[in-house]
Amino acid sequence: MKLLTKTSLNYLSVTLFVFLFGTVAFYYLLRYQVNQNINIELEKRKSSILNQLLPAHASVYTPPNQNEKVVITPLKSIKTPQLNFYDTIFYVHKENKFVPFRQLGFVANFNNNDFYVQIYKSLEETDNLIVRVFLIMTFVVFLIIISLLIMVRHTSLKAWNVFYDTIDKVNNYDINSHNEFTLEQSEVKEFDDLNHGLIKMTNRINKDFLNMKEYTENASHEIQTPLAIINAKMEVLLQSDNLDEKQLKAVADAYEASNRLSKLNKTLLLLAKIENRQFPESTNVDPVALINNQLDNLEDLIESKEIHVDKHFEDAIILKMNPYLADVLLSNLIRNAIRHNLKGGDLIINCNQKSIKVSNTGNELKVDKETIFERFHKQSSSPESLGLGLSIVQKICEVYDFGVSYDYENNLHNFTIEFKHSNTKNNI
Amino acid sequence: MKILIIEDEKTLTDSIVDYLYEEGHICEAVYTYIDAIDKIESFDYDCIVVDINLPDGSGLDIIKHIKKSSKPVGIIIISARNSLENRIEGLEIGADNYLTKPFHLAELNAHLKSINRRINFSGNDHIIINEIKLIPSDHAVFVNDKELKLTRKEFELLVFFISNKNKVITKSSLAEHLWGDYMDTADSFDFIYTHIKNLRNKLLKEGCTDYIKTVYGLGYKFDLTQY
Repeated sequence: MKLLTKTSLNYLSVTLFVFLFGTVAFYYLLRYQVNQNINIELEKRKSSILNQLLPAHASVYTPPNQNEKVVITPLKSIKTPQLNFYDTIFYVHKENKFVPFRQLGFVANFNNNDFYVQIYKSLEETDNLIVRVFLIMTFVVFLIIISLLIMVRHTSLKAWNVFYDTIDKVNNYDINSHNEFTLEQSEVKEFDDLNHGLIKMTNRINKDFLNMKEYTENASHEIQTPLAIINAKMEVLLQSDNLDEKQLKAVADAYEASNRLSKLNKTLLLLAKIENRQFPESTNVDPVALINNQLDNLEDLIESKEIHVDKHFEDAIILKMNPYLADVLLSNLIRNAIRHNLKGGDLIINCNQKSIKVSNTGNELKVDKETIFERFHKQSSSPESLGLGLSIVQKICEVYDFGVSYDYENNLHNFTIEFKHSNTKNNI
Repeated sequence: MKILIIEDEKTLTDSIVDYLYEEGHICEAVYTYIDAIDKIESFDYDCIVVDINLPDGSGLDIIKHIKKSSKPVGIIIISARNSLENRIEGLEIGADNYLTKPFHLAELNAHLKSINRRINFSGNDHIIINEIKLIPSDHAVFVNDKELKLTRKEFELLVFFISNKNKVITKSSLAEHLWGDYMDTADSFDFIYTHIKNLRNKLLKEGCTDYIKTVYGLGYKFDLTQY
């Protein structure tokens, strides 16, 4: 949920609660105040009646004011006289409807006779007033709440827009792109601080990244040149005729070792480059063509191992990938499947819109399935192997957010690469 | 063939010169950009082997300089930089090949031979070694005038052997020549063994002398010295 939606909802629920509670309380308070006023008026009437009327005959006295009525009756005829203030309703013939009245009942003594006096005052007008005041107040408060909500939302939206823009840019930040990282200016200090911080951070990261890149390039350059010298010297040495077998063997071993070292250096450099996302350019790649090309390239070996190749390719498949990495990925998988195949085994390649699956016949591995993609993880049988092939496969899959998995079923080793939907189209 | 080597690493240059001299090439070596330009302007070369990173300039500028004149010169770049951009840039300005350090001298030699054939024979040459006749442009091989059916890899292997005849060729240089350099060594050795076995069988079947000798623990040798 967006922060703005959340605050708006909170605001609405709280104000709605206060509003409902407040209007009810407001109504009763108003009512109470009005009643108090009427009570005071009735009290005044009471004292004036006591002063003026009681000396006269006890009778029903109707004052000139229509909204008022005074009834005086002997107390004896009343069984339970209602004293003090209370509300009641009378039917008014003139207006043909029930009208609420407020009444004050009291007992007055006159000539040793007790009289029960009731003073009535119509509440019709005051009630109308209360309702009107109440409605107007409710409307005004409601208007205030709504306009406040609109105002808060509007200003927040404007302020948050900068924030959303920042999030968007941070999400799409690509350290390999040479565009400068810029963010919008904000009127809100906090967002401005955040943007400043982010820009500072990305600049630092960029600088470090460039340094790292330079360092790896330089390191590899520095290592490759001496290796080139070692290899060249050995190669010349190998051609000389006056070495005995023991010396030749020693030179050969040293030569192979330096070869492995240079291969290792190149492969680790490739891994580092993949990890650093240094293969940004991507084009439409046809994996089927690449697979066929690889199989073509390895044709002789497949024949010599008497491997039966089974291809299941579904319609035209296009991957948006770096062509070099796509080639490395597929070639590593296929070579792996050939290397660990048995003589006369099967090599099954399934390729469709969602995934590529390379399967080969082979004995079950003694090692854990989870560790098969780890660096330098290898079956002890092939000491020359670097044990980096599957690790490269995994790294490339990471770059493109492909899922890669291994399982063993029916004497088949299966390596499956699943394209997440978005990756068949865009992204690096 | 007259070859100029431009490479600031003297020890590496020495080895290259030694190896190529044995092949019958005339080799000269310079170590700086200025000397290289000087040599190129004064003499004609068939082929130039150039390092990109020189102490006083870029090998790429030397290539651009050579390309200004219309003389047909083969150019091979040797560089420690393995990035795709460098490779593409080098080939775009007119280099014939791009070798990443460390490279095999046999590989360099094979490239030089192929450039030599392209420049001096316009690619229509025949290579004749005793009873074997190779026509690289047609990918055709004849043993005693009888055509031999070879797979593409077997053919490449034979050309590579013949380019480096009488030399010990290591398994790793064969592997890199055939499959490029981003390959795990383990399987390439299996592959090589298979390919060589097949090639040898096909040659022997047509009555060819068994020139391909295994040098134990090292590699192979296309040995013509005893015949």
